[in-house]
Amino acid sequence: MGADPTILLGAVAYDPKVVSIWEGIREHFRAQGAPMDFALFSNYERQVEALLAGHVDVAWNTPLAHVRVRRRTHGTSLSLGMRDSDRDFRAKVLVRRDAGIKRLADLAGKRLAVGSRDSTQARILPLWFLTRQGVDLARVKLVPFDTDLGKHGDTGTSEIDVLKALHEGRADAGTVGDLIWVGEQAAGRVDPARVEVLWTTPPFDHCMFDALPTLPATKREAFTRALFAMRWEVPEHRRLLELEGLKAWMPPREEGYASLEAALDAGFDVRPAP
Amino acid sequence: MNGLAAAVAVEGGSLTLGSGLLALLRPALRLLEPGGVLAVLSSDPSVVDDLPTFCRVEHHRYLGAEPQGPGRTRHLVMRGPLGLPREPRESGFSLASGPGRYSAQRVLDAVPMPAHASPSTGFAPRGAQVEPGGPAYPYDLLERDHVAPPEVAQLYDQAVSAQWDAATDVPWDAVGRHPPEVEAAVGQIMTFLAENELSALYVPSKFVARTHPAFAETAMFLATQMADEARHIDVFLKRARAAGGGLGLSSVTTSRSLLSLLELEDLTEAAFLLSVLGEGTFLDLLRYVEDHAPDRATAVLASRARADEARHVHFGMAHVRHALACDPGLYARLEASVRRRAATLAGVGEAPAALQDALVVYAAGSVEPEAIARGHEAYRALLVTMHENRVKRLKSAGFDDVQAQTLSDLHSPNFM
Repeated sequence: MGADPTILLGAVAYDPKVVSIWEGIREHFRAQGAPMDFALFSNYERQVEALLAGHVDVAWNTPLAHVRVRRRTHGTSLSLGMRDSDRDFRAKVLVRRDAGIKRLADLAGKRLAVGSRDSTQARILPLWFLTRQGVDLARVKLVPFDTDLGKHGDTGTSEIDVLKALHEGRADAGTVGDLIWVGEQAAGRVDPARVEVLWTTPPFDHCMFDALPTLPATKREAFTRALFAMRWEVPEHRRLLELEGLKAWMPPREEGYASLEAALDAGFDVRPAP
Repeated sequence: MNGLAAAVAVEGGSLTLGSGLLALLRPALRLLEPGGVLAVLSSDPSVVDDLPTFCRVEHHRYLGAEPQGPGRTRHLVMRGPLGLPREPRESGFSLASGPGRYSAQRVLDAVPMPAHASPSTGFAPRGAQVEPGGPAYPYDLLERDHVAPPEVAQLYDQAVSAQWDAATDVPWDAVGRHPPEVEAAVGQIMTFLAENELSALYVPSKFVARTHPAFAETAMFLATQMADEARHIDVFLKRARAAGGGLGLSSVTTSRSLLSLLELEDLTEAAFLLSVLGEGTFLDLLRYVEDHAPDRATAVLASRARADEARHVHFGMAHVRHALACDPGLYARLEASVRRRAATLAGVGEAPAALQDALVVYAAGSVEPEAIARGHEAYRALLVTMHENRVKRLKSAGFDDVQAQTLSDLHSPNFM
């Protein structure tokens, strides 16, 4: 008898929809002849440990979790795929129009609302990019929204909190990811008379399917084959892709995580959630 | 990118993505084939950052920006492969300006029904552009010739203009005082009518949700039929309780007969059994109620209900006539259906006793023996008329003489 061919995937349950997403994708994988099951974790720290311990075959990781896996495996981990929407992510530095902030240097002495401390797009990278632009964070009053710690910003709650604080005048400036920014504008939930963009960060990449280098080639091949067979044009696939926030799965690439690596090296890492 | 030609250009002024630019941008992109290029002229500095994010999310390609004089930028976007295929949207109609009533028939003439409909167009109205990839809906009435007779829009138009009010369009103050036996007979007849009309409300409702919206006129007509039946139920129950009668008996014969209608799953069989045979027979029953009415209120409500029922019969006949013309095997199916239904009432040769007695007393107008004899004659004549008219209607619906006689004989002794 050979080894169980079922690929065990880890995902973090940041929302009830996660169950629908992976139940649906599991059905699709089975139809593709790639048996898969999933285990849900309450936070990315636990999921990373489970992957490193070999308890799951593949982990659907945030950029922070991905970079931690790269480091813990000395760069030998396997990256299997990402969403189209994970590529060329950016963060926005928003300001209130009445705050008198015309350039990044004007942030000194102002209140800057930031997302959860483990959110790559709403906290870690915008702050790191600001320091690279010469902003002295010691002179900025951070207004942090540390919600859903352990979920690495997946819920978007802290970014919505940042936007709310800006609209209500509880902050002069704030940092959010560009997806939330464009999505909230398209939904008509941003008042352009009050809030505008001051600065946009350079691009960085977001989530990644990670595996250990010991993942059997058959599982690796089955996983990527089934994953990349999902099509926006197919109604059953489209429902799942919409839930997961993408239109197409893309091959992996590492260069998009260089800025996060550098930020962690510069001490922007956060303590894992308890 | 300099000099790259754009097929479509929009002037965005100082609009941002959050202040309305999308309302210009997205329709302009829909005018392009994938690979087509859109130019966006803008004087807002945030667009240079937000437009690439929008393109990333929507799978368009942001090609870059070039200055166009002080403070103005020309952005170029290449339409991506996802999203709506480029199809011309419906245009060019100005139906309201034609002569005569702006009827549903006029709309149907301008936007005819397709022969077949796809379940994955959901509730999209006929003529709308449908985004591909929608879920399949559980409609199973997908063939025009099985769903929509040619007269359907015309019948819908008639039905809408013929609606009336059960509270005010019946001269309720004309309900007089009648002998208690006669008023009890009225109550029994009204009970029977209301019970049967309840079935005529429920049976069409089963088919509305199964009808593909490409044939919406059929669902819309059935909705008017259901509104008619609702009003009839209302008016019959009001009459039963108007002057001391009250409700009478609901019999097992009626209950069995109506269950066999409710259990029908085929639209043509239902149109045939309910509308052609059942409601057709009810036309004669309502005429009887009108002719022998003890007061003007009862005569008016029977007359009004009969006018509505005539429309339902017309729809059923149109449906069956059209279906018979399209499907030569239909007669055998309908006869089998009538026989199956007759089997559920095997051994029952006559209308429910309480109803028969009430119809006799009703026509008699009193319980004097001579009057009762006249009432009984009237009832016997009613049965003959019902059969003769059923045969006429069946022939008019497209059945031959022998078929019409056979089907009429097999019809339910419950009338509906």
